[in-house]
Amino acid sequence: MIEAINLRRTYQTTTGVVRRKRLDVEAVRGISFSVDQGELFGLLGPNGAGKTTTIKMLITLLLPTSGQARVLGHDVVDDAREVRKRIGYVFGGDRGLYERLSAYDNLRYFAELYGVSGHRQRQRIDEVLELVGLKGREKERVEGYSRGMRQRLHIARGILHDPEVVFLDEPTIGVDPVGARDLRQMIADLITVGKTVLLTTHYMFEADALCDRIAVIAKGEIVGQGTPAELKGNVAGGRVTEIEVFGVDEATVVRLRGVGGVSAVTVEEQDQKQLLIVQTTGERELTQPLLAELDGVEVGRVASREPTLEDAYVALVTAE
Amino acid sequence: MTNWLRVFFVGGVIAYRGLFNWIRPAMYIPTMLGSPLFQLIFFTKLGQYAHAQSRDFYIVGNSVQVCAMSSVYGMTMSVANERQFGTLGPLLASPANRAAVFLGRGLPVLMNGLLVSVFTFAAGALFLGFRPGLASVPALAAIVLVTVTSCTGFGMLLGSVGLRAKDVFFAANLAYVLMLLFCGVNIPLDVLPGWMSLVGRCLPLTHGIAAAREVAAGAPLSQVAGLVWTEAGIAVAYAAAGFVFFRYLERASRRSAVLDAY
Repeated sequence: MIEAINLRRTYQTTTGVVRRKRLDVEAVRGISFSVDQGELFGLLGPNGAGKTTTIKMLITLLLPTSGQARVLGHDVVDDAREVRKRIGYVFGGDRGLYERLSAYDNLRYFAELYGVSGHRQRQRIDEVLELVGLKGREKERVEGYSRGMRQRLHIARGILHDPEVVFLDEPTIGVDPVGARDLRQMIADLITVGKTVLLTTHYMFEADALCDRIAVIAKGEIVGQGTPAELKGNVAGGRVTEIEVFGVDEATVVRLRGVGGVSAVTVEEQDQKQLLIVQTTGERELTQPLLAELDGVEVGRVASREPTLEDAYVALVTAE
Repeated sequence: MTNWLRVFFVGGVIAYRGLFNWIRPAMYIPTMLGSPLFQLIFFTKLGQYAHAQSRDFYIVGNSVQVCAMSSVYGMTMSVANERQFGTLGPLLASPANRAAVFLGRGLPVLMNGLLVSVFTFAAGALFLGFRPGLASVPALAAIVLVTVTSCTGFGMLLGSVGLRAKDVFFAANLAYVLMLLFCGVNIPLDVLPGWMSLVGRCLPLTHGIAAAREVAAGAPLSQVAGLVWTEAGIAVAYAAAGFVFFRYLERASRRSAVLDAY
């Protein structure tokens, strides 16, 4: 359904005012993946990794610098209009809706743009409003909507013309936990009605709960790909040790990275304290050597656990 | 074709309601009716005080020119606000025919411009004693329609520029005032320096206002056909330039992300 072959995108930018210098920024560096029919495929990566650039190329808003991409067999460069007819595009955030119009009129406008016939429009708009839980609120202006309601409306707009493939670019960003849970259910429902979904997200539990397969993208390259279980398996065999510390410095963190058997160390700031997340390879218990390196640092709770998808993700995106 | 027409008519009206900032009565009445009314009274009274031209010279000139309030600002908003509101990405990701999307936005703007001009002419008749012959009214209406169309075409070009430039309303403000100066609204073109009258002849309004003045004074439409056709040609030229620029930006955006609007 979706196929990216060695897809690459370079942006040109300039620096300086008087002596302007042209720079090439490689946002996407030759990535390849495919998404099967009815699959929910996740694209995970940190900010600036190239997720949105990849989606923009797949939905025809950006031309690839090189490589090829096809959606439903149509080339995204040569056959853009055919691709556009068959896909839905949903992005996260407050913007992207006509604020002064009601939700109903927003949907009506996009129904016109996607060629939904006049007699089918009312029925289809009612269906999608029902699906996203905005039925009864559709006559209100969007400017009075909460972030969660806007996001539901974004999704309604994306599936209004009943596309076979839906692209969701961080659809739950900034939405409160209850709203985000409802949105995740909505995304899962898309699969049950036969859609193919490509989802980008920062939230690991979201990807873990929703995605059939995931590609982890970092610095424009895919650094890992597989089912959530397969990705977790990459760090399995190892363990994760979490150590609560107060005032750890960078030098100590570097020393911890040097401990034999340690594959990655990340520091999570938590108010007055920090949480050291130490990933280890092999089954060897490393708590004592790690604590020895923390000599002189106030240590709180120490716990050891199985790796999660987040650990797998951190290991992949921090690997040199 | 049916879909093209639906996008043109229905889509155009919905987009206008969504993007035109002054659609609420509290904004519309002072901006679209109050401001033109006071512009008409100001320039007519000033002209009469200075004994420079006849009263009807100012009434006709200003009543036609005020359509630019809708055509320049309204059209600029109808296109450029897509970027400000973040709706440009979803719009460009749709398969809709671009000509229908773009040109459809002009229709409500044009109707509004017509309404503003008719209102100002009526105010001229009511408050300032403007009395064209009844026989002149249909021809006058036709000329106003053509002139509003050419102003709307000019607004389309500005709107397209607004997709790229962030502060297009600065250009819209400038354009409105320059049209007052260059298009023979309050100062006859032959009194202006050569270069100014040359610029004026390339802008919308100039030929339309000249034709409207002659018709209001009793000339038949056939006598001003050349002026009206020139105004119509200017309308087509600006609308076409606006659409070509819009398409150019869309392509350039795919190629080098110049719109950076998604």
